[in-house]
Amino acid sequence: MTQLAAYKKMKELMTNYYIEAKTTREKPIAWVTSGAPVEFLYAMDVLPIYPENYAAMCAAGHQSIELLEAAEAAGFSQDLCAYARTDFGADITQGGPVAGLPPPNFLLCSTNICKTVIKWYEVIARKYNVPLFIVDTPFLHDGLTKELIDYTISQFKDLENFLAEFTGQPFDRERFFEVLSLSSEASGYWKKMLYLAKEMPSPFNSLDSFIHLGPIVTLRGTQECVDFYKSLYAEVAERAAKKIGSLPEEKYRALWDNLPIWFKMRRLEKFFEEKKCTLVVTTYANSWGGYSNIDNYQGKDIYEAIAASYLNVYINLGFEERINYLAQLIEEFSLTGFIMHSNRSCKPYSVGMYRLKEELSALTRKPGVVIEADQNDPRVYSDAQVETRLEAFIESMRPINN
Amino acid sequence: MFDPFHEVVTNVSKTIMQFEAELRRPVIGVMPAYFPMELIYAAGGYPVQLWGNNLALEKSDAYLQSYCCSVARSVLELELRDISKMVKAYAFTSLCDTLINLREIYRRLFSKPTLQLSIPITQTEEARQAYIKNVLKSVTTGLEEITGQQITQASLIEAATLYGHTRSLQRKLYNIRRQKPRLIKNHDFYTVLKVGFFLPAGAYNQMLETLLHNLEALSQPQDSRPKVLISGMVFDPIDTYKIFDELKIDIVDDDLANGWRTVSKENLQIENLVEGITQYLFNPAPCCCIYNPDNDRHTYLLNKVKQSGADGVLFWYIKFCEPDAFDRPQLMNRLKAEGIPAVFIDMELSLSNFEALKTRINAFCEILEGDT
Repeated sequence: MTQLAAYKKMKELMTNYYIEAKTTREKPIAWVTSGAPVEFLYAMDVLPIYPENYAAMCAAGHQSIELLEAAEAAGFSQDLCAYARTDFGADITQGGPVAGLPPPNFLLCSTNICKTVIKWYEVIARKYNVPLFIVDTPFLHDGLTKELIDYTISQFKDLENFLAEFTGQPFDRERFFEVLSLSSEASGYWKKMLYLAKEMPSPFNSLDSFIHLGPIVTLRGTQECVDFYKSLYAEVAERAAKKIGSLPEEKYRALWDNLPIWFKMRRLEKFFEEKKCTLVVTTYANSWGGYSNIDNYQGKDIYEAIAASYLNVYINLGFEERINYLAQLIEEFSLTGFIMHSNRSCKPYSVGMYRLKEELSALTRKPGVVIEADQNDPRVYSDAQVETRLEAFIESMRPINN
Repeated sequence: MFDPFHEVVTNVSKTIMQFEAELRRPVIGVMPAYFPMELIYAAGGYPVQLWGNNLALEKSDAYLQSYCCSVARSVLELELRDISKMVKAYAFTSLCDTLINLREIYRRLFSKPTLQLSIPITQTEEARQAYIKNVLKSVTTGLEEITGQQITQASLIEAATLYGHTRSLQRKLYNIRRQKPRLIKNHDFYTVLKVGFFLPAGAYNQMLETLLHNLEALSQPQDSRPKVLISGMVFDPIDTYKIFDELKIDIVDDDLANGWRTVSKENLQIENLVEGITQYLFNPAPCCCIYNPDNDRHTYLLNKVKQSGADGVLFWYIKFCEPDAFDRPQLMNRLKAEGIPAVFIDMELSLSNFEALKTRINAFCEILEGDT
């Protein structure tokens, strides 16, 4: 991992966040998906808790296997998303780094990351007997349309009513706009930081961006989040200005598509460093940069801008748009190749990936590789198999200076 | 009595091509689930439902990972091997993540048109109605472009009558099975349903009417055997029902997406088509793939078990179907809490060695016999 002073701050932020989550008596708690419009919650002093983030923490801390097994013993199939299984296991055993998540008062779920979350949250809603509010953000087979924006806005308005009723307070629109502005600002710094990887050598790598994702997912819409990403951006910008690279030597520059393999971060980091390959950009980390667009509504109804941001998420896009976006990243970030993680736990990201890889290679004339793995389940992962494929891929890339 | 049905199932391609030539309607392949056949027929198409098959997966592995369900993989295999060459276009619903992305794969790989009936996932009533209105417009326009024919009030009435009659006849068949278990062998019953995926409604209705007429004359066998209800998405692989027959188990009812969940749908209301499609998608049977908290699956299934007189529930799980797998543990716990034995059996459509399956079904049967 690149030595960044911000890492310590992030650990503090996340620790404080979880302490508040575990101890609060005043704030209602909502379990939310990573693509949910969390700004509505912060505006009403509801504390959002992210089971996906917790599952990732469990796996990164090498605690996911026992939780997965606990969920499976309760009947949840190994075919299910390993984030969901990890969280079910953590809920059953009160396990993981903070000994389980605080129980929810209600649930907020958006379909922009997958349809799996509906089923996952239905299970939670039934267990805790709490309301589930879904913001449906349909898959964009043919791009964004006015009808889809109107559909999403209509649900936002309903969400405001739901929150007003739930909290017994009128929806605080003034506070909401403040939160939106903070959300957009933090996402803006995050995006600007990610785009510093265009520099050669890249001042950080994608494993760093995965590790520093926590606050933009969980605290988006707060001042602490803005302050953190402002300082992270400043630190990385300084490295970029001084041409300090993430790796001692950068021979290859690759894109990573899909979620990280949380339980293999350190080993993969070492592997890529030895191979002099910087993972420069990821579609996954970039997803939270998209919320910075909310500020660009300029005269349009701000709800349209929010709807567009929450619909226009990478894995909610048709393949034509995905290929064009990937090709653009390969060009803009001067990449020598791309890695696609065929992730057993994430079908919307992974199904169709074999075809995307073929088309993207043909379009960009850059080599690509698909590796078979899982974001959270170490039992379906093979070091030898993945690393053999990655080695062959790295050998197939043309180094940057050639 | 059932031979004509078995004949269709063993000659699917030939049967479809014969009817295509006879009807002069373009064949539209319909992916799982709940796409109203009525819309396709009203646009001048010949809908054929694709619920997967038992082909060895030779080509689809290049496009779909092993963790995708065998329904998606085997349907893609058909097109890659050119077995479905008579299919002119594909109709999808947004049932799950795999099918949503499968449509994108089809768009990249093949030149055949695809269209999608996207199903809303919201309790916001106004949003849901507006969404279905827009989706319906896109689907009907798409169908008209494919067939070159307009959907008219008259063609909708004809289609709704025809397909409504199909489901009404199928419901009669279900009623006979509930009232006279064992009269129809399990394998015969699901073969009759499967034929409906491939035949035009008119021809299928005639076959069903003849069958129902013949069944009426038969009296109920007297001996008592274990009675089960099966729950899942897809009733295939069809040959597995021979095991139930061999083991003398009566499936008295089902909660399957391509079984009762579809068969139970009333006539499509065309006076207000948006409302009609809404009712069609969300009622009356709940489904793990359709978000509708007003129609609770637990209560529904408990009532269904009681009404059918089933001794237990067998969850028929086609591997990698996440919506089905998420619902199952809580559903099973609920059933067990009510004293209803429940097990699940997982499989892939390409299953060819039935021995392990037979052992598991037999073990469940012994539990039921011990309980009764």
